[in-house]
Amino acid sequence: MIGKPEWFQRRKYSGWGLSPKTWQGYAYIAVLIAILFGLQLLPVAGNTKVIIMIVFAAIIALDTIDIMMRLKKDEREIVHEAIAERNVAWFIIIVIAVGIAYQSSQSAVLGKNVVDPFLIIAILGGMIVKVASNIYLDRKR
Amino acid sequence: MNMKTFIADARKKLKMTQEELAEKVDVTRQTIIALEQGRYNPSLQLAYNITRALKAKHIEDLFEF
Repeated sequence: MIGKPEWFQRRKYSGWGLSPKTWQGYAYIAVLIAILFGLQLLPVAGNTKVIIMIVFAAIIALDTIDIMMRLKKDEREIVHEAIAERNVAWFIIIVIAVGIAYQSSQSAVLGKNVVDPFLIIAILGGMIVKVASNIYLDRKR
Repeated sequence: MNMKTFIADARKKLKMTQEELAEKVDVTRQTIIALEQGRYNPSLQLAYNITRALKAKHIEDLFEF
């Protein structure tokens, strides 16, 4: 789309997403920030400005996804990324499971349901994603 | 268990740098370093590509379990 994958690298040691690798990557981010500030100064009504910002954010999100999908990775990097993300998933699952257990115990003590539905959705959604991924991988490979 | 490789010897014979080999077989230099140090077992495809790039006759000339 707009940005090129050779301008960026996968963020490995500071979260997820991309970090700039070349001057073009830094320039891309600088231009985005400049546009963001420029949009704030637009002499339009509040609602219009919000819509423009949403469209801008969507374009940036799509471009980021596009860059990430086209980012070149060799087989060793793919394995490393998969292991790192699996470890992340396990940590998150444990935290969510502990959270559900704690909230369930609180529910029993207080006599009312205080379990956060988002935690349940996260676990169930994760299960669905895992099943879908395994079905896809079994059929593909 | 990791493989023993003779990539570094074959590469040096051809006066090729790690960067050049990496570019030829479409991987990063870090992957070549890991392979040369026996810290990474490559896929069959990558092993074949490296064998071709280093002009070895057989895959066993470069990789040994």
